[in-house]
Amino acid sequence: MIAELGHLALCFALAISLVLAIFPLYGSYKGAAGPVLLARPLAILLFLLTSVAFGALCYSFWSNDFTVLNVASNSNSMLPWYYRMTAVWGSHEGSMLLWVLMLSGWTAAVALLSNSLPLILQGRILGVLGIINVGFYGFVLLMSNPFERTLPFFPVDGRDLNPLLQDFGMIIHPPLLYMGYVGFAVSFAFAIAALLGGRFDSNWARWARPWTLAAWLFLTLGIMLGSWWAYNELGWGGWWFWDPVENASFMPWLVGTALLHSLAVTEKRGTFKSWTVLLAIAAFSLSLLGAFLVRSGVLVSVHSFAADPDRGLYLLAFLLVVVGGSLLLYALRMNAVRSQARYQLFSREVLLWSNNIFLLTATLVVFLGTLYPLVHKELGLGSISIGEPFFNQLFYYLTIPFALLLGVGPWVRWKQQQLHPLLAPFSYIAMIAVVLALGYQALAHDFATNLGLLGLLLGAWVAVSAVAETLLRIRQLGGGARAFWQLPASHWGMTLGHLGFAVLVIGVAMTKTYSVEKDVRMKIGEKVQFNQYSFTLSEVYALKGPNYGGQAAELEVYENGEKITHLHAEKRFYPVQKTVMTEAAVDAKLSRDLYVALGEELDGPSWALRIYVKPFVRWIWLGGLLMAFGALLALLDKRYRRKVTAEGVSHA
Amino acid sequence: MRKLQFFIPLALFLGLAVFLFSGLFSNPRDHGSALVTQPMPQFSLPNLTEPSRLMTNADLKGKVYLLNVWGTWCATCNAELGFLTTLRQQGIEIIGLYYVQPPEAAFGERFDMTALQQEVSRKLAEQGDPYQFNMVDEKRSLIFDLGVTGAPETFLVDASGIIRHHLVGDINEQNWPALHTQYQALLAPAPAANSTAATDAKNNAGGQGE
Repeated sequence: MIAELGHLALCFALAISLVLAIFPLYGSYKGAAGPVLLARPLAILLFLLTSVAFGALCYSFWSNDFTVLNVASNSNSMLPWYYRMTAVWGSHEGSMLLWVLMLSGWTAAVALLSNSLPLILQGRILGVLGIINVGFYGFVLLMSNPFERTLPFFPVDGRDLNPLLQDFGMIIHPPLLYMGYVGFAVSFAFAIAALLGGRFDSNWARWARPWTLAAWLFLTLGIMLGSWWAYNELGWGGWWFWDPVENASFMPWLVGTALLHSLAVTEKRGTFKSWTVLLAIAAFSLSLLGAFLVRSGVLVSVHSFAADPDRGLYLLAFLLVVVGGSLLLYALRMNAVRSQARYQLFSREVLLWSNNIFLLTATLVVFLGTLYPLVHKELGLGSISIGEPFFNQLFYYLTIPFALLLGVGPWVRWKQQQLHPLLAPFSYIAMIAVVLALGYQALAHDFATNLGLLGLLLGAWVAVSAVAETLLRIRQLGGGARAFWQLPASHWGMTLGHLGFAVLVIGVAMTKTYSVEKDVRMKIGEKVQFNQYSFTLSEVYALKGPNYGGQAAELEVYENGEKITHLHAEKRFYPVQKTVMTEAAVDAKLSRDLYVALGEELDGPSWALRIYVKPFVRWIWLGGLLMAFGALLALLDKRYRRKVTAEGVSHA
Repeated sequence: MRKLQFFIPLALFLGLAVFLFSGLFSNPRDHGSALVTQPMPQFSLPNLTEPSRLMTNADLKGKVYLLNVWGTWCATCNAELGFLTTLRQQGIEIIGLYYVQPPEAAFGERFDMTALQQEVSRKLAEQGDPYQFNMVDEKRSLIFDLGVTGAPETFLVDASGIIRHHLVGDINEQNWPALHTQYQALLAPAPAANSTAATDAKNNAGGQGE
């Protein structure tokens, strides 16, 4: 009954989204206010209906209603309640429902917050979002109905949630990621609305910017959590695998980052217009492409859902309409647009342009690495796979100039910058960076020219430059605590974002260089020495969880003879899904992780254990967090609210 | 020229779409059902009630049968036993492949054949016994070869030892009629062979392009 209610709500939502796709656009085409005024209540109604549907599916999982196919295939009566809730989006159908919930949520948010935008523009933006909504509601209802029943022959118990997904990280990873993907739909809608209207002033960029920031913020957090989840759950101690699906989330992130920077130019200088619009289209197109790759079964990955060519065909058709249509519109409309601004070779415009070039080259690398195997196969040249070395090497070459430019960028003025005023500050920055990097390496490790040192140098360069630039700005504002608070939130956001990148670069380089890994065979009481750490296996015992069994190992860890911690590693067996899962034990510190994964039981009795010491691995996620926090600060900048209101009044 | 440059993104996208389209119809992953039309893997497994007797492919030669993978630990399998028993009463040959739950074997607790025999006979007395006999796959070797992903799963095997159907999940009143038709067709002599192939093709549609 409840499930039918949810299904019904979804059908109504499809109908509402159809109306939303037609009337407001028609209204703004004809210049009639009536149909446009419909847009906002429709958007809110759409979200409410989808919430009812989502609530209904949650209830079905909560109450172990195995007459619902989705529940029967992805849950089990023995699953604890919180994993029953996350199982809601553990399957293709449920995750699509989450996807439309978020899409309608963004649509409703635009409706609620776009009060100050010109009416015609509101109609266009919500109308474009309506079209995207129609596509996804249609997909959910036609191709992946989450409310399908197993009646009249329903199973006694469910087939359980994939144990890989039974983890805290998994509770929030997909929602955040989807928030990011779907959030780019708003940037996309802004771009299309601008193309339809033919107006790309700096107001347009200022309106689009906070939405892009919000989407980028969620995507950053989502990707970071996914990486953290892989590290904890997969038991390989890795944090990024260049898996096709990871890449599918990384591409919109890279383009989104480029878009953020390009929007800044369009807002402040009124130029780069065609570029910004293209990036906004590209960011959302890559999100859609990601959805297509994951859900059509074109590529193989640990993440992908069951392959189904019909779903793929639908998504491909949708992709053609949305992306093809928007690129056609772009091609037809962009000719008329001229940029009026002038700038010199050494100016912030050019530096931000090179930022975009590097980010897009990186996107291209990921894109080719992900899709080339497919193209290769379809050309009849046989199956190939492109692995980590390809990506790692190209990213290595891209990061060096990118980080060097990033250190310079914030110091350079718009339009034109003389070289000589910058020489003095940059020689100081370079000196401080070199001293910090070399100093740390000499103290912590033996001096060696390796990737770790390069990472430290680049990271210190970016970080010192960002901090110094911020201090300079504070001093220009008069110094002291008052100036500290006067500095706009978006400037703090930029500083934090760049610091986050510096931290990330250091984390990646140090982890890559100084990680040590050992596969050992241990008996109870046996000790393994590992640099200054020694690990003693003190106990192994049987494990009994609510829906799993297995073994747990207890280890004592000593550093230079002193006990520092106690580690608890598990190897779980989930009988319903017949899956063995590793729950790695991690002792985390800012400077290093100690990581132990329990393996097979061997004769003796003894156990295979995998032990890692990973210096600076936390910095990778810390860097991501800093970037996300920077985006949050930029989002809170007063001018997005204050000025938008003022403009709104003048337009209305 | 300037007019044309804005069409570049569109052209690139359309080019990509062609590959995505053709990629849809060549499945990169071989599914478990790839075993359909393949011969039954070689096996030699102890009979549950009489462990000294090893059952092999030879014991099943010339028979059309259902190989049902199950375990007493699996709730759905237990629920399925009743329905399977009514099938046996209709003369359907069902062979049990007992799935030994790994932790018992892998985690020090010795695998205990006597305890297993007691548990199984208690369960079968309770729910009904659909099986001609049961084989115990302690090392899960045949289960591995068959690409079993969970329990229950059922394989339909024809008289020449070729797997004709692979069903994931329980057999019930809903899916039995189709499987029954296929079973009957295999029992009947030669002329039915074509219809069997047709059913196979249907079952495989959406799986892989063979």
